[in-house]
Amino acid sequence: MSVGYYFWILMGLPMVGAGVCALLRAPRSVLTVLIGAAAAETVVGAFLVKDIFAGAQDSVAWGWFYLDALSAYHLAILLLIYLLSTVYAAGYFRHELEAGVIRPGQFRRFGILWCGAVAAMALVIISNNIGAMWIGMEATTLMTAFLICVHRTAASLEAMWKYLLMCSVGVACAFMGTLLAVAAARGLPLAGSDVMLWTQLRAVATQMNLPLLKLAFLFLLVGYGTKAGLAPLHNWLPDAHSQAPAPVSALFSGFMLNTALYCILRYVAIIEVATGGAGWSLHLLQFFGLISIVVATAFILFQEDVKRLLAYHSVEHLGIISLGVGLGGIGVFAALFHVFNHSLCKTLAFFSAGRIGQIYGTHSMAHIRGTLKAHPVWGIGLFGSFLALIGVAPFALFMSELQIVFAAMDGRAYLALALFLAGTGAIFVGALKHAMAMAWGEPEHSAPALAAPASAAGITDTILVAGSLLVLLAVGLWMPEWYRSLLLRAAHIVEGKL
Amino acid sequence: MGLDTLFVFLVLTSIVLLGSSLLNSSIRVVALQGAVLSFLPLLVMEPTWAGRAVFLAALTMGIKGIVFPVLLLRSLREANVRREMQPLVGYSLSLALGIALLVLAFWLAGRLHGIGVGISALSLTAAFFMMFTGLFLIIARRKALTQVLGFLTLENGIYAFGLTGVGHIHWLVELGVLLDVFVAVFIMGIAIDHISREFDHINVDELDQLKG
Repeated sequence: MSVGYYFWILMGLPMVGAGVCALLRAPRSVLTVLIGAAAAETVVGAFLVKDIFAGAQDSVAWGWFYLDALSAYHLAILLLIYLLSTVYAAGYFRHELEAGVIRPGQFRRFGILWCGAVAAMALVIISNNIGAMWIGMEATTLMTAFLICVHRTAASLEAMWKYLLMCSVGVACAFMGTLLAVAAARGLPLAGSDVMLWTQLRAVATQMNLPLLKLAFLFLLVGYGTKAGLAPLHNWLPDAHSQAPAPVSALFSGFMLNTALYCILRYVAIIEVATGGAGWSLHLLQFFGLISIVVATAFILFQEDVKRLLAYHSVEHLGIISLGVGLGGIGVFAALFHVFNHSLCKTLAFFSAGRIGQIYGTHSMAHIRGTLKAHPVWGIGLFGSFLALIGVAPFALFMSELQIVFAAMDGRAYLALALFLAGTGAIFVGALKHAMAMAWGEPEHSAPALAAPASAAGITDTILVAGSLLVLLAVGLWMPEWYRSLLLRAAHIVEGKL
Repeated sequence: MGLDTLFVFLVLTSIVLLGSSLLNSSIRVVALQGAVLSFLPLLVMEPTWAGRAVFLAALTMGIKGIVFPVLLLRSLREANVRREMQPLVGYSLSLALGIALLVLAFWLAGRLHGIGVGISALSLTAAFFMMFTGLFLIIARRKALTQVLGFLTLENGIYAFGLTGVGHIHWLVELGVLLDVFVAVFIMGIAIDHISREFDHINVDELDQLKG
């Protein structure tokens, strides 16, 4: 079977899954379909990325589907987070269904939108056409809007409206940028339908209308930057992440933000080729990255809600990734490495926070105490992921952040280095205080909201927590050669060197 | 009707939007703007693309001229509001700022047309002015419904820019974009219904429970 068909299956599987979910009544069958679709999707994805992981340059199908080291890497992360979140969602919602917190109809809607969201994100990653990429990005917003208010409360509706409007407007700006980028290629010898293909645009980048291309990038950075949660465009993010059910928060933070950043990286590559590596776009990314780190620091120190705390950590880490890319050189490599580390770690953190929230019946950190005693598995998950998030050695996040420090010293970006160290330093202290209080504080003897999950630490829960933490440790200590080479190739693509 | 008349008309409808307080009539103005916009493909696309232009025009007319207003008028009835009371920026001030935005749009259009974008400076002016008006409405009005109208105006501007400023776009992309906008407005309509049921109002500035 030609590789092109795998692309179609990758897009089609979740859509079929969504359709099947729409027809089913029993929550149990919806769950089975969700897990089945996730497993099948992962297998298809593995087929697609395996050649590129093994060293192949890229694979193209019908011009519109395109996979290279950068997109294969992102696709692999998407599928990993998707699979983990679906498995976790099964446990998470099973208890809520039993307790009657969520109705079967609501759960079915969750199933449909969940599959749809994954199809949309996959479209963004595998599109070579920058227009199709945009369509996928907007579809992501639309699919996930109602996932935020699966539990229909006033607060979740508020969060959903803010998310829907801010991201739609932001992504509309990005479409303006997409059009401007195409306009910048006008008059160049490109066949009619090729003019929106990323590969074609990069090939002719040096002849494009540079002022127009730069204007396009500004629109794209602001537009997709809104969706990526870069400060000061992040206002929707803490609300949406805190109100959404935990599996959705995990997918948001673990991958949706990266999808938007991925789009920006694609354009960074074109700009870098067009300007001959002058670093114009990198400086902008550096700027947004630093603002994000500073803003996140302020909010993390005085946070009271555990999921909002994690949401601001996302702002911080997306900021770190942008900063890394913005520093160029080894920084791009480190930033891409950080993408995986952050995604896995943040997913685990939201998993743990979600279940602990169910056990304690609140997300207010003042009331979450003694998690290690109350529920060892998720207690360890939350504490461990916090340690990794704030950059404790030798977790992988520490390694990638260390490389970003080196990159800053290499590039003599001392101001950026100082702000980065001050921000992460303050967050280290602030978040560690929150995490230790939650882990060891004296538990309050209040009636838990959902009694069931407190006692039952399933084998899946244990595997999710232990597996994620072990991988984060292992990758921090030792990086396989194929992984290093994949990241290097992806970094070269971003820097426009390939 | 000449092209320039059409662009002037688009600018005028945007100005009317800035000064209108009745939600009912605002919805109709945006619908009218969308309907006028739907003639644009017929006027600017090359004759070889006639079939495609007719299809795109019909689709745009159907979505922007008919489906959206019906949908939004229904939401309006459900939400039981008639006007935008106490907007964050008053109507006279909105109009004055609108003039400033128009000047900005003229300036930006002139600059861009100077480096070879767009079929005419006026087409770009109309496109940018619609975008600015849309953004302004989203920021300066309190009703969720007016924000949706702002979003639609913004999208109209981008649509006009796509047709007059860029040239060839693959039909699949055009279709996908229209579909996305359609679903977006559809979802916003549902969201407004939920909000009006949950809160008994659709004032966005009173959605302020989530902080910090």
